[in-house]
Amino acid sequence: MENFEFLRNVTIGQYFQGDSIIHRLDPRAKITILLILVVVNSFILSFTGNVLLLSLCIALVLLSGISFRFMLSGIKPALPLIAIFALMQLFFYGDAYPPYGMEAVTYWRWGMMSITNGSIQLVIVTLMRFLEIFFLVSLLTSTTTTTNIAYAIESMLEPFQRLRVPAQEISLIGTIALRFVPIFAEQMEIIMKAQASRGADFGEGGVFQFVKRTRQMVTLIVPLFVDAFRRAEDLILAMDARCYTGGRGRTKIVRFHMARVDYLFIALTAVFGVLIMVFRNNFPV
Amino acid sequence: MNTRGRVIIQVNDLHHTYLRGTPLEVKALKGVTMEIYEGEVVGIIGRTGAGKSTIVQHFNGLIRNRERGRVIVDGHDMADPSLDVRAIRQKVGLVFQHPEQQLFERLVGDDIAFGPKKMGLPPEVRRERVRWAMEMVGLDFEKFKDRFTFSLSGGEMRKVAIAGVLALQPKVLILDESTTGIDPRGRKELLSRMLHLNREHGVTLVFVSSNMDEVASIADRIYVIDDGRTVMHGTAREIFAQPEALRRYGLGVPHVTTVAHRLAQNGIPMPRVPLTVAEAEEDIWKILSS
Repeated sequence: MENFEFLRNVTIGQYFQGDSIIHRLDPRAKITILLILVVVNSFILSFTGNVLLLSLCIALVLLSGISFRFMLSGIKPALPLIAIFALMQLFFYGDAYPPYGMEAVTYWRWGMMSITNGSIQLVIVTLMRFLEIFFLVSLLTSTTTTTNIAYAIESMLEPFQRLRVPAQEISLIGTIALRFVPIFAEQMEIIMKAQASRGADFGEGGVFQFVKRTRQMVTLIVPLFVDAFRRAEDLILAMDARCYTGGRGRTKIVRFHMARVDYLFIALTAVFGVLIMVFRNNFPV
Repeated sequence: MNTRGRVIIQVNDLHHTYLRGTPLEVKALKGVTMEIYEGEVVGIIGRTGAGKSTIVQHFNGLIRNRERGRVIVDGHDMADPSLDVRAIRQKVGLVFQHPEQQLFERLVGDDIAFGPKKMGLPPEVRRERVRWAMEMVGLDFEKFKDRFTFSLSGGEMRKVAIAGVLALQPKVLILDESTTGIDPRGRKELLSRMLHLNREHGVTLVFVSSNMDEVASIADRIYVIDDGRTVMHGTAREIFAQPEALRRYGLGVPHVTTVAHRLAQNGIPMPRVPLTVAEAEEDIWKILSS
């Protein structure tokens, strides 16, 4: 049966008001922590390392007081894609990745395809790494307003402005893109309902009937684009009307102050990151 | 048409919660009860956020009730999971606010024919349906069918969008704030065309609006919704005779009705609560000549 409530599925980019310690951290500190953990995430290939990192991510989510179930529900729309990738890794990467901390064992082989304990480990580790990144990004966007994220990025890019990095413009583009995600989700819901009211049916045909499903989408995509252009023009006009000229010398009403707790969180994350990186080849599995 | 026919839509103690089970959940309906008879014009009024749109989306199965309450449309229980929702949507047409946003085909005729095509009707029947629907909204078939959709004016686009729903030939037509954002003349024309549809073709109209003048001029009966509940119902005259009660729910009365209430306060009672300027004029003439 159709379900038109899209906001249920868009958890990234949705801000939840709260007063947890994660909410109160300086947005720059949060971004720094995110960056450190993303780097760590891209280096560890072992079970132990990922279990540690995933535990840390879950601990941070719990600390933020945001519903765990709701956050997980955001993965639902991506599940078919994740499943396809996992299957491809399982069957075609058997020889490319020798298993970490184990003797290589081949369970099954047929032509180009094979399943080894290396490919099984790869699938599990990839899923864990995906979850870690997903939690971290959701956590940042659900505890920080988009404007604060943008200001933080701008402030962090400021030192590079001498190198002609357009910090302010970059953060503006980011804010606008993030800001419009829920608006378009809502607009899509309205258009979908309107089309369903005059006989369109969505979700007919299986997940893998791409052509059929794509054709159904035409009735949504055209109106959605028309709406997007209209909104973009309105936005330009609104910015113009407020004499927005962008760029240099713009002052801000919000100023961030890094407190002791912010430095503490960054330091703890950094220590965690360094320890894992140093010992990443010494884990048993 | 006040002759009461069969009940076509029945709503009983309906509850609905948006985004249930998430941190964003909102209780939208907390007990709505209403009956809509075949062939009548029903107005649903209430302040913004009262739950009007949520109610009418239950009528064609865009929202299915899974909580307390029942919705019966043309004899079908809408909570029944085996229900053919598409068949219901052919019987109950729903036009949203700013319906012109739903257009997607290049040519006007093709866009209106979308619904009939999805129903699997043969091309000749489709063409007839499109012709009929365009006539109903006041667009000339020959002149408009091959025009580019996106080159039309806002008012014309809205007519095309409404025709797109009418092409399904629904028994019930729901207009959910569908007249907002067009000029007064266009509004008036649209209202009289919808009324024609009701009188001549027996289409039951459900009219959701926050414009009291509009509702007064078109609705036989009115339901007032506030905070997800049915708080008042009756004929248009009964409802607009109680301006204080309406004010409590953040609503007003039509301008002509206000004039009548003022006259009554100043010792000139009117024989009835006027709903249109024509009625008020008639009554004032009567008072003046007596």
